Amino acid sequence: MELRLVTIPAIIAVFSVIIIGLSLQLDTSPPMIVGDSMQARSFPIFLMILNLMLCVILFLQLVKEKPAPVPLEGRETWGSMVLLLLFFALTITTDMFIAIPIVMFLLSYLWGERRFIIIALNSILTPVTLFFLFDKVLRIRFPRGIITNWYYG
Amino acid sequence: MQEALAAMGSIVFDVNLLFLIFATTILGVIIGVLPGLGSTTGAALLLPFTLTMEPVHAITVLTTIYVSATFAGSITAILINTPGTSAAAATTFDGYPLAQRGEAGRALGIAVVASTIGGIFSVIVLCIAAPMLARVAYEFRPPEYFALTVFGLSMLASISAGGAVKNIIGGVFGVWLATIGAERVTGIERYTFGHYELYEGLAFVPVFIGLFAMSELLMQSKRLKDVAEAIGLKAVKLPTKEDYKKIWRTVLRSCGIGTFIGILPAEGATVASMIGYSEARRWSKNKEEFGKGSVEGIAGAEAANNAATGGAMVPTMVLGIPGSGTTAIILVGLMVHGLRPGPYLFTEQVDTVYQIFGAMLVANVMFLFMGLYAAKFFARISLIPTTLLWPIVFALCVIGAYSLNSSLLDIWIVMAFGVLGFFARRHGFAVAPIAVGLILGEMVETNLQNSLKMFDGEWWLIFTQPLAVVFLVLAFLGLCGPYLFQKLTNRG
Repeated sequence: MELRLVTIPAIIAVFSVIIIGLSLQLDTSPPMIVGDSMQARSFPIFLMILNLMLCVILFLQLVKEKPAPVPLEGRETWGSMVLLLLFFALTITTDMFIAIPIVMFLLSYLWGERRFIIIALNSILTPVTLFFLFDKVLRIRFPRGIITNWYYG
Repeated sequence: MQEALAAMGSIVFDVNLLFLIFATTILGVIIGVLPGLGSTTGAALLLPFTLTMEPVHAITVLTTIYVSATFAGSITAILINTPGTSAAAATTFDGYPLAQRGEAGRALGIAVVASTIGGIFSVIVLCIAAPMLARVAYEFRPPEYFALTVFGLSMLASISAGGAVKNIIGGVFGVWLATIGAERVTGIERYTFGHYELYEGLAFVPVFIGLFAMSELLMQSKRLKDVAEAIGLKAVKLPTKEDYKKIWRTVLRSCGIGTFIGILPAEGATVASMIGYSEARRWSKNKEEFGKGSVEGIAGAEAANNAATGGAMVPTMVLGIPGSGTTAIILVGLMVHGLRPGPYLFTEQVDTVYQIFGAMLVANVMFLFMGLYAAKFFARISLIPTTLLWPIVFALCVIGAYSLNSSLLDIWIVMAFGVLGFFARRHGFAVAPIAVGLILGEMVETNLQNSLKMFDGEWWLIFTQPLAVVFLVLAFLGLCGPYLFQKLTNRG
């Protein structure tokens, strides 16, 4: 049997078992609070048991149908995910409004755009417009960082 | 009834609202023609912008995006053989071949007229059916609501993308997501891992932005090499008398099919257009024309997908059960603006409800004119490079998600669910069941708890409630019906 047919049902099954384990660690409430209803853990455990049963059906289906393997994505897709991590790191360490233009620029570049002036304009004008729209019209205050500290004072 | 008609009529005198519908229709058509964006992603991205609006205006923005983007998917389906939305996939079967024959204007004219008729028909049905269903729903108690939500979840099995089992797994995962946070009765925290922001549960909006928009961004990175070839368009032509003679039966049939499919919980415009198309082919006298540029094929698919929009609003407004991915976002919009969907909406907020319906009607008329007079311009927009468009979507995703609760955690949720949604779609799981499950999760658990209290913990007494039994039987048929039918057919 091919390993790829087992992978997805196995991931779902492991996830379900972990959730059941976590649910079993949840506190229980005294009967006077819960009454004839259920404990907080009961419903999630029921859901995960259902998921485990569905996993078995999915596994049997996959073995029977043998779907074609999913081709591995190119560097554009994996690179885009790395850029999401970069966005996370930059937002925490510098400013969300530094992270957005950098990630926008790199995303365009990664996806094959080579007109640097256009990508630079797109990467700067879009977050600036959105910033003022949300700040002035919707009155949203953005998280503190290098630029927002300077702007908000 | 008079009150309802007056509320609907008041739309015409509200210049601000009319302008808003006009502007949103343009935006909706743009969203619809841009491959990958679609009504669900568009509504998810625009939801944060509606926060400071009046409830009617906010919901109008979302419903207008829904109807106009659903129609606009046909423009690119006909001109570049790439459906702007999944609901327009069936339109490519005949729309593009007709356009290749040099009749792009005729194909678009038929699509616009059929979509408008479908949309208006479904809004009329919505205005009539919703209050009637609301009157029935007043009688619902926890067992009926529990059974109804189970029925809603069972319908996920037949969503177009993904297989039945995969969709149900997605739905169950969505319901589990709804259990994150403090449990309603006992207050016990579940899976919050010390994050106080999760105490109230996962916010719907960031999850939806992640599942629909961010995951689509990652999916788009796989399609960068796809090249669309645009067909020239001189002008959109209204259908001729001959065309009307050919399509009127198909349009009427598809209006009925689309509205009915839309009303079914969790079914949406994509399923409706596929069934509308195949029924048009089945009943046609010119079956051989299908796939080669049949006007009946275009009309059948387009009337059905727009008819599904009004139909999908029925369970959304009356029962709080989303009729499609986009209506799941509209449902969240209703909640964010303090309008609790359910039968009481029809007694406590009659004006608001009928103004929303009226706005949907106006939006359907507006996209008729946009389709007729500006399709050429909108088709050009679809050629905006992906390399510039999707970075803008990225910025909208993160800023929009943050704006709802001013919480960075919401941005991380968007990114996490974006990656999760991408991997799910990569392996053939649709993301809409997760969204629907998340919305229905609390309803299922709460109504099950209340039912248990009602019956002193004896859960089997739920089966003594006739209406609950009907819903549970429908749920069983929804889940096992196709399998049993196939078995019986094979045996026969």
